[in-house]
Amino acid sequence: MLEIKGLNITYGGPPVISGVDLRLDRGEALAVIGESGAGKTTLGLGVMGLVKGRCTGEIVFGGRNLLAMAEDERRRMRGRDMAMVFQNVDDALHPLYTALDQIVEAILTHRRLERAAARKRAEDLLRRVGLEGSRAAAYPHQLSGGERQRALIAMALANDPALLILDEPTASLDALTKGEITALIKGLIKDKAALVITHDISTAARLTGRMAVLYGGRIVECGPTAELLADPRHPYTRGLLRSYPYMAATKDLQGIPGRMERGVPGCPFHPRCTQKIDLCRRETPVPESNGGRLVACHRGGIVPLLEIKRLSVSFGPVRAVREAVITLHEGETLALVGKSGSGKTTLARAVMGLVPAGEGEIRLEGGKIDGSRDFYRKVQMVFQNPGESVSHRMNVLQAVGEPLDVQGIGNGEERLALVRRVLDEVELPSDDGFLKKYPHQLSGGEVQRVAIARALVLNPKVLIADEPTSALDASVQAKILKLLLNIQEKRGLAILLITHDIALARKVSDRIAVMLNGRIVEEGPAGRVLSSPRHGFTKKLVEAVLSKCPPTQPESQDSSLP
Amino acid sequence: MDRTGLLLNYAAALAIILVLNFAIPRLMPGDPLQAIYGDEAMIAMTPEMKEDIIRRFSLDMPPDRQFRAYIASLLRGDLGHSYYFNAPVAEVITGRLPWTALLAGLALVLSMAAGAFLGIESGYRRGRPADGVLLAGMMSLSGLPDFFAGILLLILFGVGLGLVPLAGAVTPYSGLGGMALFLDILHHLALPLASLVIVRISAVYLLTRNTMVLTMGAAFIRTARAKGCPEAAVRYRHAGRSSLLPVVTAAGLQLPHLITGTLFVEIVFSYPGIGTLLYNALLTRDYPLMQGVLLLVTVVVLGVNLMVDLLYRKIDPRVTHAY
Repeated sequence: MLEIKGLNITYGGPPVISGVDLRLDRGEALAVIGESGAGKTTLGLGVMGLVKGRCTGEIVFGGRNLLAMAEDERRRMRGRDMAMVFQNVDDALHPLYTALDQIVEAILTHRRLERAAARKRAEDLLRRVGLEGSRAAAYPHQLSGGERQRALIAMALANDPALLILDEPTASLDALTKGEITALIKGLIKDKAALVITHDISTAARLTGRMAVLYGGRIVECGPTAELLADPRHPYTRGLLRSYPYMAATKDLQGIPGRMERGVPGCPFHPRCTQKIDLCRRETPVPESNGGRLVACHRGGIVPLLEIKRLSVSFGPVRAVREAVITLHEGETLALVGKSGSGKTTLARAVMGLVPAGEGEIRLEGGKIDGSRDFYRKVQMVFQNPGESVSHRMNVLQAVGEPLDVQGIGNGEERLALVRRVLDEVELPSDDGFLKKYPHQLSGGEVQRVAIARALVLNPKVLIADEPTSALDASVQAKILKLLLNIQEKRGLAILLITHDIALARKVSDRIAVMLNGRIVEEGPAGRVLSSPRHGFTKKLVEAVLSKCPPTQPESQDSSLP
Repeated sequence: MDRTGLLLNYAAALAIILVLNFAIPRLMPGDPLQAIYGDEAMIAMTPEMKEDIIRRFSLDMPPDRQFRAYIASLLRGDLGHSYYFNAPVAEVITGRLPWTALLAGLALVLSMAAGAFLGIESGYRRGRPADGVLLAGMMSLSGLPDFFAGILLLILFGVGLGLVPLAGAVTPYSGLGGMALFLDILHHLALPLASLVIVRISAVYLLTRNTMVLTMGAAFIRTARAKGCPEAAVRYRHAGRSSLLPVVTAAGLQLPHLITGTLFVEIVFSYPGIGTLLYNALLTRDYPLMQGVLLLVTVVVLGVNLMVDLLYRKIDPRVTHAY
């Protein structure tokens, strides 16, 4: 019913919308999400014909190109064939007319009706959205935010349009009202085509079947809503979901580095992208279809960095790892959880080439690993016991600088600068006094940070962390993990976290893989694995953690707070 | 503020005006009679007249009785006696009032209507040539003194082109009636009215245009467009009506300015209204007449402001239906 082809909108400067293609059928709801300034509202206004700027391309609605129509004809379609529900800002409704009168006007603009009949219809509409009697005849300033939003919805429905464009229909509403309005909208858009413009991902998830992610005026990813939310493919989509606080997510909030810039050459997202390559600066990627998903990325979406395929490791008759399959993507945390002795550490060591891999394959960025020095530039490891992993014969400078020596990077002065910078990054002092200290002069948390600094000094893409905080107390553990997540946000560091602490995994990982007797028995998004574990062992693990909860946690639902 | 509060405010203002009007002549040094009537009148006055006046103003009574007598005489419509016209002040004023009411009233209505209309159209076309020309023209008119505009118009159309009469409100002794009289009045009215309107229109225009420009950026304008409202409806029903709110307020504030303007313009065109009357009273030191005129003017300003306040409540529901 609505088809947008190669739409560009510009207000004179760099285009606000460029090359947008979208299709929307009757009975379908499509969400357009993105940060403010991404061009979402401009897109909606462009379809309505309400943008001041210049639109090129095609917007085909009901078989006709809207952009080729005369303004008067478009005006007659507005409010009749397509209507817009605006965000309930203070003056979205005219302050000098009652809600009822404004809906009567919307009806009379398009229909030859007696005033009384129009009034009757307006009252019916307002009743349908839940505004009755005196509330309907009230002036906008007498209505609450939720009531104003209802009035705006009723107004859009005045002439039963085939296409509804909803611009932030639930913004600035409290959670309960938001729920009510969302339910109301869901009922109303069943037989219509709906374009839901929002930065509120939970609203979008409840209302729509498909979702398009807009960044810098371009669609970077588009696909079925549920799939897109569960498995974002574009780095921007993932960043957006990570920044959004919704109940199903368990990982701590993470942002997207930098801020949106206009008129960027090449891929609009490349200045903030942690996996950009040279091509991203030069050429704009075109959306490509990939298993029902459109992704506009030169790298085909978030890259799988480390792929472990059917890896088995045996020590004589003991099969420590059996046909393990794991994929670690750029910038994500994968927690490998399981009992001690389940083969987690062996798996990690096999990846690092510290124990010989039996059968199977380990690939880094698509290539087979060869145990060369280059491999260790990209993959580094932090071990469980910092006291043992950092040589007591080396001072901080020597320990952190050692990988640089091994790789032959820089001269003495440059190495010193790199060491100082990485120490700053892990929030350790970088003065000469500290550089000369030996491990026994440092606390456990400090030594582990030195170990992390050593792993990060080469700026690797993958960090394998084997119980990195199990020897530390909780407050130090929290600081170190936050540090790792910050580095992940900034540089796109992929982390394979090996831990037996499922509560910890819940807070820091995007995905969780559960290992039992050398096999990976379950793998999935952290929220899903923890809330509805599928494997019996995972259930036991989760229950074991829940039963350990401190007694202040309510065991029954009716506990009263002190 | 609710309606009663508003009315009480105005009542208080009126009371203060009355007290001042009563007190000032009596507080002046010397004989209040002398202060009210002036030296010359005192010399020309016969003892009987003096006696009569003292009785009428209760000048031989204590102040509270005097004030009561003053209010009572006001209620009777007695503003005193004009020595110069040798007639009651109220009568003299009533004779001239219709001309001023006609001139000032029309000037107010016309300047408001034309200013608002041009402001709405101009603000709607912000940045386009029509807006630019109008804005430049109005800016150059704003700040022009009334009497100066009057003199310019008089020289150009009256003296130069001879299109309109130079003075007066009607052609004297013409014996005109009906339609002819009406046209004659309009003919005389044209120039003084034009000079008042020209000067005032720019203020209304600038204010309307300004609010119109702001209003056009409001979200409800976009809502109106999304409904499919025709541009005329957007311009007047939605943007225009909102833009008029400050104009109504400004009308009340402008009124004193309009009245002084009218006084000057009447003098320029020898228009037989309150303005020339006051001017003559000043020249002849006819104090009772001056006081009468000033009292009338202040009461009118107060009354019109009250009307504006009440009107504002009617057109802005946010004031009436505060909750």
